[in-house]
Amino acid sequence: MRSGLARSALALLLACVTAVVVVPMLVLLRTSWIEGRGRLAEVITDPDFRSAVANSFGLSAAVTGLAVPVGVAIALALRDPRLPGRNFWRAAVLLPVLVPDFVLAYSWLRAYARAGLTSEAFGFAWPQVQGPVGVTVIVASQAVPLVYLITAVGLSTRAEPTTERAARASGARPLTVLTTVTLPLLGPAIATAAVLIFVLTLGTFAVPQVIGSPAGFRTITTLIYADLALGSDPQSFVEAITLAVLLVVITVIVVAPADRLLGERLSLSRTPARDSDWGTGSHATRIVVPIVLALYLIFTCGLPLLALVSAAFTRAVGIPLSPENWTLDNFLAVLTPRTGQALGRSLLLAVAAGSILLVLGGCTAALSRTRSGRAVSVLVALTLVLPGSVLAIGLLIGYGRWLADTVLIILLAYLAKLWALAHRPISAAVDRLAPAGLQAARASGADLPTALATVVVPLLRPALIAAWGLCFLTALHEVTMSSLLYGPGTETLAVVVLNSADLGRIGVTAALSVLVTVVVVVPGGALWMLGRRSRHG
Amino acid sequence: MVWLTALLQLWLLGACGSQIAATTTATPITLYTCVNDTTIQPVIQKFEAGHAGVKVDLFRAPTGQLNARVASDVRSGGLKADVIWACDPLTMQDYVAQGLVGGWTPQTDIPATVCTPDYVGVAVLYMVAVTRTGHQAPATWTDLSRAGKVAVPDPNVAASALGALGYFGPDFYANLKAKGAAQVSTPDDVTTGVAQGIYDAGMTIANSAYAAQKSGSPVTVSWPKPGAVAIYGPIALSKTTKNSGPAQDFVSFVASRDGQALVGSSGSYPTLPGVASPTKPEDTPTVNPDWKALANQKATLLRDYAKIFGG
Repeated sequence: MRSGLARSALALLLACVTAVVVVPMLVLLRTSWIEGRGRLAEVITDPDFRSAVANSFGLSAAVTGLAVPVGVAIALALRDPRLPGRNFWRAAVLLPVLVPDFVLAYSWLRAYARAGLTSEAFGFAWPQVQGPVGVTVIVASQAVPLVYLITAVGLSTRAEPTTERAARASGARPLTVLTTVTLPLLGPAIATAAVLIFVLTLGTFAVPQVIGSPAGFRTITTLIYADLALGSDPQSFVEAITLAVLLVVITVIVVAPADRLLGERLSLSRTPARDSDWGTGSHATRIVVPIVLALYLIFTCGLPLLALVSAAFTRAVGIPLSPENWTLDNFLAVLTPRTGQALGRSLLLAVAAGSILLVLGGCTAALSRTRSGRAVSVLVALTLVLPGSVLAIGLLIGYGRWLADTVLIILLAYLAKLWALAHRPISAAVDRLAPAGLQAARASGADLPTALATVVVPLLRPALIAAWGLCFLTALHEVTMSSLLYGPGTETLAVVVLNSADLGRIGVTAALSVLVTVVVVVPGGALWMLGRRSRHG
Repeated sequence: MVWLTALLQLWLLGACGSQIAATTTATPITLYTCVNDTTIQPVIQKFEAGHAGVKVDLFRAPTGQLNARVASDVRSGGLKADVIWACDPLTMQDYVAQGLVGGWTPQTDIPATVCTPDYVGVAVLYMVAVTRTGHQAPATWTDLSRAGKVAVPDPNVAASALGALGYFGPDFYANLKAKGAAQVSTPDDVTTGVAQGIYDAGMTIANSAYAAQKSGSPVTVSWPKPGAVAIYGPIALSKTTKNSGPAQDFVSFVASRDGQALVGSSGSYPTLPGVASPTKPEDTPTVNPDWKALANQKATLLRDYAKIFGG
C-alpha cells in the first residue's frame, strides 16, 4: 500500500530522471548506434581502447582501495569530541572539495614536481607525481573528503555506541571492537562510499589528463577528450560518443550488482548517536591522531594549496615567491563587471541545483528499497560517470532546439551530473534510519509531511547539509559542461574567467579558485555552524 | 521551498533576457570561435561600433568544445552559427567537407596561400621553441633534442601540435622521445612546465611563450631553423545563415586592414602583410605544413605518433 506522497515522489523522480538522464542517454545511444555501429568492432579491438579500459579500471580500483580506508579512518578518528582541535580538522579534511580538480592537479605539480615548492624549499622532488602513481594519489586525496562525509554521516545517524560500549565492557580490545562491531555496522555507508568513488574515478578526467599524459597514461575519459578535440571530423566525434556509451555500459555492469547487494540491508532498528556517546580514545591516541592528521593534511592539502595561493599572488610562473614578485593582477583579471554578473548567475545556479538535488536525492533515498528507486539510483550513477562534455552533447542534441543558450539547459546538466552525489550520502544515512520514530508520530495522529518534517528531517540534517554543500560547491566551479552549453548572457563564472585566460594561465585560474573558496567560505561556515548546532541540538 | 523560489528566479531571469532582446532592433549574428577573448572581444566591439543595427552573439570555447557544439547543432536542427572563426585549417576543412560553411569569401589582400574558395586565414599561430633561462636555446629544430628535458604538446588535443607533427613527421618525435622528451596536453602546458622548471625546453605557440616571458617567467623564446611552424586560423560563412548580409560584413571586417590591425594589436598574429603584429623577430623564417595532405594522412600520423608517446 503506497501513500499519496510516496506516489507523488515516485512520479516526480521518474519525470526528472527521464528528463535529465534517460533522454540524453538515449540520444547518445541513438547517435552511437546509427552513426557508429559500423565501426564498433574496430573501436573495441583498438589496442588504445583496451589499454585505456585497463588503466581506467586499475585506477578506479586503486583509488577506491586507497581512499576508502583513509576516509573511514579519518571519520572514526574525528568522532572523539575530546580530540584537540576537532572542529578545525573536520573543516580541513573537506578543503580539497573547494578546489576545481584541474587546478588541484596543477597545484600538486607545483608542489611536488621537479623545481616545485618542495624542491626549492627542501631539495626534494617527487618525479612519480607525473604518472599513474601521482594520478592515483591525487584522485584518492580528492575522494577522501567524500568517503569521510558519507562515513561521518553514517556514524552520526546509525552507529551503535551502546553495542561498542558493551563489547568493551566485556573485555574486547579496541581493534576487536572496530572489526567486529563498528565496521560491520558502518558496512552500508562504506559500501556506498566505495561504489561512489569507483564510479567517480571511472569518470574523472582532469587529473589523468594533466598528470597522467606526460607519462603516456591514458584512460577512457582522456581518450574521449582526444576524440572530441578532433571532433570536427564526424568519425572522431561519433567515436567519442561510442567510447562514452561503452564507459556507461561498464558502469552498469559494476553499479547494478553493487546496488542490488546494498539493497540487502540489515533491518535492525538503530539508535542515533550523539557526540557525547563517543570519547573512549586513550590519551596517547589523542596525541598521535592529530599528528598523523596534520602530516596527512600537509601532504595532500597544505603544500598543494600553498602552491595554488602562491600562484594566485605571484606575477608569473617560475619566479621566486619574494615580495617584489607579489601581485594582485591575477585577481584583477578575475574581478571584472562581466565576472560579477557571471558570479551572480553561478551562485543562483548552484543554489538552485543544490536545492533541487536535495529534493531529488531525498526522494531517491526514500524509495531506495523499491525496485523503481533502485533503478533510479543506478540511472543517476550513469550520468555521474559520463564525461561532462559528452553529457552536455546529449543534452544539446536532446533539447538544443528549444533550450540552447539558456540557463535552464545548464541547470539540467548540473542536475544530471550531480544527482548521484546528492543521493548517495542521503541514502547512506536513510537506509537504516530507525522507523520507530516515524511510526510513533504517525500513530499519534501526525500526517506524513508533518511526521517527515518533525522526525526524519532533523535526524537526517547532517546528511542533507553534506549533500547540499557538495552539489553547491561542485556546481559553483563546474566548467566542462557550462563551457559547452552557455550562450550570450548565460556565461557562468568559470566560463568567463577561463575564456579570458584559457586553461594555460595558471595564475588567473588559481585566483579564480581562491575567489571561489572565499565565496563559499561564508555560506560554508554558516552551514557548518548549522550542522554543528543540529548535531549538538 | 527555496529551490522553487530559485527556479522561479531563473525563469524570470530568462524571461528578462528575452524581453531585452525583443526591445532591441539589432540584427543578431552568431559567431562560433576558439580565438581567445583578448582578441575576439575588441574585434566584436569595433565591428558593432561601425555597424549600427548588428549585434554579434559570441560562443567562444577551445577547439574540442567548439567541435562538440557544432556536431551537436548539426544533430539538433542545424548549425546555429552564422560565422565560424577556427584556429586551424584542418577543423575548417572538415566543416567545409560536411557542407556547413564556405562558398563565399570577401575581397581581401590576404595572401592566397592561406585562402581557399571557402575560407580566409585571418590569424596565425607560430609553433616556436621555449627554453628555461640558463639552457641553450635551439638554433635548429634538430637541436631541440639536445636541450635537456623536453616537453611537446599532444597532437590529439591541440591542432597546432598536429600541424607540427604534419610538418616534422613521426621520426622527429621518436628522436625526442629517445632523448627523454615528455608529451603534455596543450602548448600552454608546455610553457607553464618550462617556466616552472619541470622541463628545460619545449615546443609551444609564440603567443603563449611571449606572454609568459612578458609576465616575468624565466623563459627564452626562439624561432629555430628552418622556421617556426605556421598554423593559420580561417574564418568562413555558414551555408545556412539567415543573416548573410551582416555575417558577410563581419567576415569582410576581420579580413580588412582595419580588422587585421585590431587582430595584431590585441595579441594575435594577423595574416595580412604590412600590419603591425605582436613580437616577431626580424626576418624569422616560417614553414607551412601541407594542410591538404595532412587532412588525408591525419589518422596514420596519429597512429604512428601514439606508438612513440604511448597511449
